[in-house]
Amino acid sequence: MRAASPSTRLIRFGFRELARASSILAEPWFTEVAGDDGGDDLLADLARSADPDQGLLTLARVHENATPDARAQLNEVLRTPGERRSRLLAVVGASAALGDTLAMHPDDVALVTGETGQGILAEGADEVRATLLRAVGADPDDAAPVATAQGPTDAMRRAYRQQLLRIAATDLTRPDPLSTLPGVAATLADLASAALEAALAIARSETPDHHVVRLAVLGMGKTGGRELNYISDVDVVYVAEVAPPVEGDGAGDEDASGGPDRADLEQHAMRVGARLATGMARACSGTSLEPALWEVDAALRPEGKQGPLVRTLASHLAYYQRWAKTWEFQALLKARPVAGDRALGNAYVEALSPLVWTAAQRENFVEDAQAMRRRVEAHVPPREADRQLKLGAGGLRDVEFTVQLLQLVHGRLAPEIRQRNTLAALAALAQEGFVGRADAARLAVCYRFLRLMEHRIQLSRMRRTHLVPTDERDLDRLGRSMLITAEDEADVTTELLVRWRHTRRDVRRLHEELFYRPLLPATAQLSAEDAALAPEAAGARLAALGYRAPDAALRHIAALTEGVSRRAAIQRQLLPVMLGWFTEGPDPDAGLLAFRSLSEEIGSSHWYLKLLRDSGVAAQNLARVLSSSQYVAAGLRRAPESVPWLAEDGDLAPRAPEALEAEMDAALRRRAGDSESSATRVRYLRRRELNRTAVADVLTNLAADTTPGISSAADAALRGALRIATDRVCEAQGFEGSPTTLLIVAMGRLGGHELGYSSDADVMFVHDPRPGVDHAAAQTFALAVAQQVRSLLGQTGPEPSLEVDAALRPEGRNGPLTRTFAAYEEYYGRWSAIWERQALLRARPVAGDIELGERFVALIDPLRYAGGLDDGQLREIRRIKARVENERMPRGVPANRHLKLGRGGITDVEWTVQLLQLLHAHEVPALRTTRTLEALAAAAEAGLIDAGDAEVLRSAWRLAVRARDAIVLATGRTSGARIDVLPSERRELAGVAHLLGYGPAAGGEFEEDYLRTARRARAVVERVFFGE
Amino acid sequence: MDKQQEYVLRAIEERDIRFIRLWFTDVLGMLKSVAIAPAELESAFAEGIGFDGSAIQGLARVSEADMLARPDPSTFQVLPWRGDQRGTARMFCDILTPDGEPAAADSRNVLKRALAKASDLGFAYYTHPEVEFYLFHTPESPSGPLVPVDEAGYFDHVARGTGHDFRRAAIGLLESMGISVEYSHHEGGPGQNEIDLRYADALSTADNIMTFRTVVKEVALDQGIMASFMPKPLSGQPGSGMHTHLSLFEGDTNAFYDPSGRYALSSTGRKFIAGLLRHSAEITAVTNQFVNSYKRLWGGGEAPSYVCWGHNNRSALVRVPMYKPNKGQSARVEYRGLDSAANPYLAYAVLLAAGLKGIEEDYELPDEAEDVVWDLSESERRALGIAPLPNNLQDALEIMESSELLAETLGESVFDFFLRNKRQEWNEYRAQVTPYEVSKFLRAL
Repeated sequence: MRAASPSTRLIRFGFRELARASSILAEPWFTEVAGDDGGDDLLADLARSADPDQGLLTLARVHENATPDARAQLNEVLRTPGERRSRLLAVVGASAALGDTLAMHPDDVALVTGETGQGILAEGADEVRATLLRAVGADPDDAAPVATAQGPTDAMRRAYRQQLLRIAATDLTRPDPLSTLPGVAATLADLASAALEAALAIARSETPDHHVVRLAVLGMGKTGGRELNYISDVDVVYVAEVAPPVEGDGAGDEDASGGPDRADLEQHAMRVGARLATGMARACSGTSLEPALWEVDAALRPEGKQGPLVRTLASHLAYYQRWAKTWEFQALLKARPVAGDRALGNAYVEALSPLVWTAAQRENFVEDAQAMRRRVEAHVPPREADRQLKLGAGGLRDVEFTVQLLQLVHGRLAPEIRQRNTLAALAALAQEGFVGRADAARLAVCYRFLRLMEHRIQLSRMRRTHLVPTDERDLDRLGRSMLITAEDEADVTTELLVRWRHTRRDVRRLHEELFYRPLLPATAQLSAEDAALAPEAAGARLAALGYRAPDAALRHIAALTEGVSRRAAIQRQLLPVMLGWFTEGPDPDAGLLAFRSLSEEIGSSHWYLKLLRDSGVAAQNLARVLSSSQYVAAGLRRAPESVPWLAEDGDLAPRAPEALEAEMDAALRRRAGDSESSATRVRYLRRRELNRTAVADVLTNLAADTTPGISSAADAALRGALRIATDRVCEAQGFEGSPTTLLIVAMGRLGGHELGYSSDADVMFVHDPRPGVDHAAAQTFALAVAQQVRSLLGQTGPEPSLEVDAALRPEGRNGPLTRTFAAYEEYYGRWSAIWERQALLRARPVAGDIELGERFVALIDPLRYAGGLDDGQLREIRRIKARVENERMPRGVPANRHLKLGRGGITDVEWTVQLLQLLHAHEVPALRTTRTLEALAAAAEAGLIDAGDAEVLRSAWRLAVRARDAIVLATGRTSGARIDVLPSERRELAGVAHLLGYGPAAGGEFEEDYLRTARRARAVVERVFFGE
Repeated sequence: MDKQQEYVLRAIEERDIRFIRLWFTDVLGMLKSVAIAPAELESAFAEGIGFDGSAIQGLARVSEADMLARPDPSTFQVLPWRGDQRGTARMFCDILTPDGEPAAADSRNVLKRALAKASDLGFAYYTHPEVEFYLFHTPESPSGPLVPVDEAGYFDHVARGTGHDFRRAAIGLLESMGISVEYSHHEGGPGQNEIDLRYADALSTADNIMTFRTVVKEVALDQGIMASFMPKPLSGQPGSGMHTHLSLFEGDTNAFYDPSGRYALSSTGRKFIAGLLRHSAEITAVTNQFVNSYKRLWGGGEAPSYVCWGHNNRSALVRVPMYKPNKGQSARVEYRGLDSAANPYLAYAVLLAAGLKGIEEDYELPDEAEDVVWDLSESERRALGIAPLPNNLQDALEIMESSELLAETLGESVFDFFLRNKRQEWNEYRAQVTPYEVSKFLRAL
């Protein structure tokens, strides 16, 4: 050992700044305390502290400033190995700020080293209070002590810091800091209370008529819970009453005729009370020679910063009975008398605490609780989110919130859990069976760990911070001060960060376990350690979480988890967390019910539960779609094979039309001859694709402009139906093969690939008799096929039907359902009204003979893209539009709320775009498209419409189209008058808004958005379409 | 319960109030009232009183008819004309949806929203109205001729005049209801009077105007005469305007005041005026909401019909009044377009929104008008860039319809209702054959 070079020796003792260390070690004072071994023993002790460099430097500074007496005492401590020396070394190593205090007041070393074991932690709150009161020359036994010392504020602050040194010394030297933590936090709260008491004594000394008022100070937050950290704002609330008149005051002599009335007395007392409160806060945080302690924060009082600082008990009570918000009750849960008039403080707690325990029954409790939680999570600036101990996912606030919410929900029925202290409350919740014991114990450890980190971070510089440092050296000091060990000294930092990460993850997980697991019936619990709530408690908790029918929910939960089947076993695992996810949707009850139905339907399939259990996101996505979309819920129940799409690698991209075509082709080929089975297959494929797009739409909040998958599914269904129909009619009419070439042309929104979940398929049927076939026979054949196609797809049954509508054919409903190509040719050559030209803009061959399709397009192209419109035609189309607006609008629907036909709705935009196409498609080829948005973009590109106007139309069209889809998805209704109308029922509106990606309870915002967008669009339509 | 509610409950007890009238205002500015017994008041404070909103103009669609009226305790007043003992009191209400959210269609809420926006920008908004109205002898029959109570003119003192007694009685009542009156005098027309209310925050002022109209009508009835706030009851005589002085405060500082500015007007004040001017045509349908309002605007008698501003120029739409030196706190601008029949909540909301827009977007204030604009020729006005206000309700609606500012300030549902209702009014009016036409054309044609 002796052979080691000086540097190696320093490194061995954990020093980093070798030059400075060796120069300090060369100072005479060190030689004095070094002893025979050259100080190795002392240095080894110092090496155990958080930061030997900082510790050594502090010792040198203390030595320099000390009086000869103090210096002798310091040397004595440093020379003698043992607990007293360790206390000093631990403090100087862990806290630069406390080191500064010692350097400034070397006499305080005696306080640090003056005791062993639990030290100050073993003292009672009264003793600490007495110490601080004496420091300001006040009598601790006086009911309202008054300070008499000179410069009392500085004296109080000095005394506070001296006690703080004692706490830190014990805190840093106990072998198991996690166990010591609650005691440290409680003593810190007691010390803060004592400081408030002394500060109040100072305020009294500055307020001559202080005796007219009884003032009590209630500690809130961590002070109230006796779980304070080293430095933070101290939350308080004041309550005051008129003091009874002092005897001999003369007040008693005044009779009713001349005495000041009660209101005046009260007013005066409140004014004096406010002065005392202000004086007290000033003593704690005002400017003085000795630095301020902390802010005294009275913002939790009724009406917050707007409210009067001091109120009577009756006024507090009235406020909480009437006005207080949920979070104010949550805050009130912690209230504890900490200074001033004890009897009044106790009366306050006694009067108000019953209100805390009935808060969960107030209206808006659920919304408030959820909103508070979201606010907490959203509040952290993202830059610091992953360094936050307090806020953010898995932080201290999560633990506190979880515990407090559970207390509020169950405290009414279980007085035992009415605890102010977080750890005590958690233990009581477990004791009373509201949460599982093992989970509660683990959460308590997490909480202590996070708090310990917080304490050590704050101790270092005595700053009010909840941010974990990033600097390597700070992290190392932090880890060592928490007594975290690693095999290799250098790994302390890594170990610290790993444990922190695990803690945060556990807090998140345990939150769910604590909240939702006990909702499962006792028979469904995983272990005896788990809690199962009695029905009443479970109902209260479900209601607090946002379930509107808790009794029904409990039945679903019981049904899902009972029994010994593998299904029930897995659902017991899954359900707690899913119960939470359901509450994130607009309708948790519907979500749970749908989950139960789905489970009963397909729960025995081996892959279903395995998927939910093993996939990271499948269960969460399932909860999300089930609680927000009745359409999807029904779809999944009917087509269980859709469930795997919910997994992370889910097959949610719409099938390419070719792939769908090929699949249909193969399926029909396999079933050749069995037309019934083929028809079922066709409808099945369409439904499957509808499900797929619906799931994707719900999970993406309908982010895309349109859902082309719906149209592709209809295309494929039409193709399949045409094939089956052809075969059937051939058989019925005795043909070997079709006597005529067949074609289906998509029109309307189907033509534009813009079908919605509830749209009909607009089509025209075309055929072209094969050479030598009798025209009449061909027409009969084609007509039968067309009718067959319509009935195949329009059939009602388990599969969703597709209404095939041919009203846009020549001569409308008066014309024949199908015509030959030659007849179309002749018709369009002679007639063609302007509305037919307009309808043809959307025409697109969709099924049948490809070559005939090409011929048909060649036939209509010159027509639809002909040279503009003359004035008469322009007038005509405007007149038709005006008439349609008037006639088709259903009665009783306000004109601005109909998404399709209303002012600024879908039809308005489409007609405008189509007018631009009719006017200009002959000169602007890009306009020759069946798609609305494409045509609109082309028109804007070509300068036919102002870019701003085009954007207004685009967003209105998009919002209306998406809102219609959202209405179908949310309600599951695919027909009826209401699916085209902006809902006016608030809950339905909120559900639709949720699907469109609006925040919770944003129905009103969505409504306002829609009405504004549509109004603007209507103005553009009137200008561009009607030329006004 | 807060202090004010406690106070109200105590006052009701102490003063033996038997009925409490809950007042609110429909979209058109008509006062609505529902009476409750004191026992119901606590729950009215806590939850509101339910009523069928679809029966009230513009308040709700039929499908969501249930509404709640929740009294605002700060507006508690005993109604003096009902006798002080065992009396009746009133409070203004906020209208809420069944979920307890402020109803989009509540005029008071429209103003509150506008005030909240101002407050976000750091401003408090104060207004001071000068309300004009006519006093007539009660006509024998509805079609009988209108006879004003006197034949005096501006500031005339009428010996033993009915108007004099009337004003004294009305002011007495107003003062007893805590509404301070600044000023009162005889106005330009026969039987026309003006009473100026003291300046107050805009919400209180709007509440006060609603009260004021009721008080004036009550007092008139008491004295056997009739009071009317119709904007232009007599052709050939001045109409009844409600010139309103507007000011913004930032904390305790008047935001319009800058001793170094021209007319001691700050740049904020200049931008505010610029906003008022630029948007004046858009807001006219609200500030002058009836077909009759345009008879006032275009019927002579010193009504401001052109969009311009001036200092002590009584022909200007916006006037910067002269104030005494060292009275920076009283810096303000006067908007002279408003008439006495406007819905004060909506009118003050749109004036505020227009002015704030000017501040937010740094509008440039046009040159001041130094001439009497009525005396200029059409082409002179054009050369000076002075535009007219809308000619009639129809024009005003058309301009309003394309105003994003109005849609945003009123909210989509009030905006939509207002347009629909007023179009209907216009159509009904247009279908009338007036006595003027009959007398002018019946025989001649």
